[in-house]
Amino acid sequence: MTAITTPTASRRYLRTSEFTLAVIAVTGFVALALATGGNLLSAGTLGAFFRFLAVPIVIGLSQMVVLAVGQMNLSVGALTGFCAMAAAWLMLKAGLPAPVAVLAALLLGLVVGLVNGFLVVLTRINGFIVTLATMTIIQGLRYGVNGPDTFQGYSAGLRKFGSASLLGLPVVFLAALAVAVLVGLFFARGVAGRKLLASGGSPFAARLSGISNDRSLVIAHGLSGLLAGVAAVLTVAASGSVNASIGDDLLLPSFAAPIIGGVALAGGMVSVTGTCLAAFLVRLVDVMQAQFGINPRWIDLIIGAVVLGAVLLGTVRAKLQERRSP
Amino acid sequence: MLTAENLVKTFPGVRALDGATLRVGAGSVHALLGENGAGKSTMVKLLTGVYQPDSGRIELDGAELKLGGPIDAQHAGIGVVHQERNLIPAFSIAENIVLHHLPQSAGVVDRKRMRAEARRCLALLEVDLDPDTPISRLSVAQGQLVEIAKALSLDSKVLLLDEPTASLTGDEADRLYTIVRRLRDAGRAVVLVSHKLEEVFAVADTVTVLRDGHSVAEARPLTEFTQGQVIDLMVGRAYESVALAERHVDPATPPALRLDGVSTVLGHRDVSLEVRPGEILGLYGLVGAGRSELAKALLGLERITAGTVEIHGKPARIRTVGDALSRYKLGYVTENRKDEGLFLEQPVARNIAVTVWRRLARAGLIPDRAERKLAATYVDRLGIRIASAQQLAGTLSGGNQQKVSLAKWLAAECDILVLDEPTVGIDVRTKAAFHELIAGLAADGLALLLISSDLPETVSLADRITVMSEMRVVGELVNDHDYTRMSQQIIRLIHAETHTSTGEVAAA
Repeated sequence: MTAITTPTASRRYLRTSEFTLAVIAVTGFVALALATGGNLLSAGTLGAFFRFLAVPIVIGLSQMVVLAVGQMNLSVGALTGFCAMAAAWLMLKAGLPAPVAVLAALLLGLVVGLVNGFLVVLTRINGFIVTLATMTIIQGLRYGVNGPDTFQGYSAGLRKFGSASLLGLPVVFLAALAVAVLVGLFFARGVAGRKLLASGGSPFAARLSGISNDRSLVIAHGLSGLLAGVAAVLTVAASGSVNASIGDDLLLPSFAAPIIGGVALAGGMVSVTGTCLAAFLVRLVDVMQAQFGINPRWIDLIIGAVVLGAVLLGTVRAKLQERRSP
Repeated sequence: MLTAENLVKTFPGVRALDGATLRVGAGSVHALLGENGAGKSTMVKLLTGVYQPDSGRIELDGAELKLGGPIDAQHAGIGVVHQERNLIPAFSIAENIVLHHLPQSAGVVDRKRMRAEARRCLALLEVDLDPDTPISRLSVAQGQLVEIAKALSLDSKVLLLDEPTASLTGDEADRLYTIVRRLRDAGRAVVLVSHKLEEVFAVADTVTVLRDGHSVAEARPLTEFTQGQVIDLMVGRAYESVALAERHVDPATPPALRLDGVSTVLGHRDVSLEVRPGEILGLYGLVGAGRSELAKALLGLERITAGTVEIHGKPARIRTVGDALSRYKLGYVTENRKDEGLFLEQPVARNIAVTVWRRLARAGLIPDRAERKLAATYVDRLGIRIASAQQLAGTLSGGNQQKVSLAKWLAAECDILVLDEPTVGIDVRTKAAFHELIAGLAADGLALLLISSDLPETVSLADRITVMSEMRVVGELVNDHDYTRMSQQIIRLIHAETHTSTGEVAAA
């Protein structure tokens, strides 16, 4: 009933974690560009930088969607690989046209995600355990598609889409950004998205408002699977060849992006911008490794440490805010 | 307008409502009163579809209502503000108000309509808040108003308010009741659940009193009663007291535990009490008065910000539960034995020995035999009925589980015990046996702090009773075990409005 003192919108924005991340991202990019003597800014390197940023963004969003309802999805990486292998198989072995294979990959991701969701809701087993199990099953299926062999030489059109550029930026990266915008709108404006966040933020309050928390869980897992399917299509297009190991190295990045991006693990809060910026940062670390020939093991160590640091920072920030507004 | 006839609702082991009736007319404020556990909250939850009644009938404007869930009640026109806050902190005021019927077109939230609807509801309350403000930036009182606005957003004919002023200041409460009167004058029916009798008498027209799940006064005009008569209705419950052996505590004995002017981060202010060896101090209060929280602060689980804690005359600084146990011999038998008191998947023997593993250990290993021997002692002493010491704690009955939970603190040779709601969920017969056991512990020289929301239990067991309300001690009584007299004194202490100062209340 007392008036609230609101700092101006711009002042508040400067305090958000997204703004901090943006500053770090730009600083890091400039520093790396200078350190490599401008090599980073050459057309080839820059193109590769953004081309291989597409999948980390989408896979980060795929994890973010389930984090929104306070769940985790360990199967995102394996599912991306499985969908990619399935798409390649459909084109090479079944002889289907690329658009059909792309749609099939998306559908496959969606279906597996929905299966995850229904398993969580029907068994009441923690999503972590359910997706740990489905991850293992999917890894097996992924290997079953073509054994240890590599698929290559599929649809020229799709590969062209993977290497094409528009206004100097790779089309796959622009596609990932478009997906990010859609996910952002889904959570900001979509009725289903708002309900998802309500369920994640306060399940009991959501229930009293007539929102089905079970439904939110199924939708979140389904959407997560669909985004893994999108990541699969981008992988098939951008890499030109796929084998059964695709997706194995995506699990940590899938968590790294949303967590560094400031998404609450407990659910109820998402940040698409933060997730994209964090994926950018992780990619920056990757490129640094390639540019300076650092042992890749160090990269895992750095990313792991950054994730841990981001979580700690988030806890500290929450505590500070609590103290400021008792 | 709204009638609920002969509602019955049973939970495992408890008959929360046993034929309660509520009749509320349009354009009136109806008070629903009762002691702890009388069934008020269950009634509210039945009327709002959170629970479904086992039997009975709910009617609104003459048509029977079958409420399958909260949303059914809202669509029927029954709005509610629950005791606990139910807003989503990250969402805006507007979105919270219309969350149960988000305006949309093609799956996209229509923000313009959302804001308009929120403004309309806020205007009904004559509240000036920006609908775009996130809930996390509001005060408790503002949050409460948003919940009322939310309850009104479906043009509710009936509005249920469950302890709406529990977390409001006197000023904020006054403003809230102005709004309640305005809603009444607009022809809505308001059901008010509150333990603050002064407020009830100031605002309500009719009253229903619940006692032990029955309605003992049904929709009577409030003007027929004085506050004292309402209290008599609330507490006059049938009660057979157990004859317990007389105990005498010499008031000259130095206290085993003494709190002097203790304040905590949780909001306790100036709490003072003392317990002597061989004495049972009853700590009575309504649910939420801060009693369990005080016990937890005492054990070092929450920070004490002011005042002193003395144990056997020496100042004590308890930082952890381990500290309390090993250095001060202070044990806490938790209210929630299933989650906090026992390891349900572990055998009884291990549950009892957990506090003394260090003492039993030989070269870092705990001999099974020592554990079993220790357990046998307490199984005997407390009369715990088990098949063998290897039986899992989870398979025992409630009463026996509670005894195991108690045994582990006795095994640790505690001489001060905090018993938090020791007989909740235990059937009546076992309860009497438990009361004898507790009295026996005191006779053996233990200092007991008994936290109980069960008034008869407090009156039959305690030597003295300290009454708490809203994180403060509002009075202390020497118990003469006369139930009628004691219960009325205690309830008067609690219901004495918070506007009066503590001193006057204690003198009354």
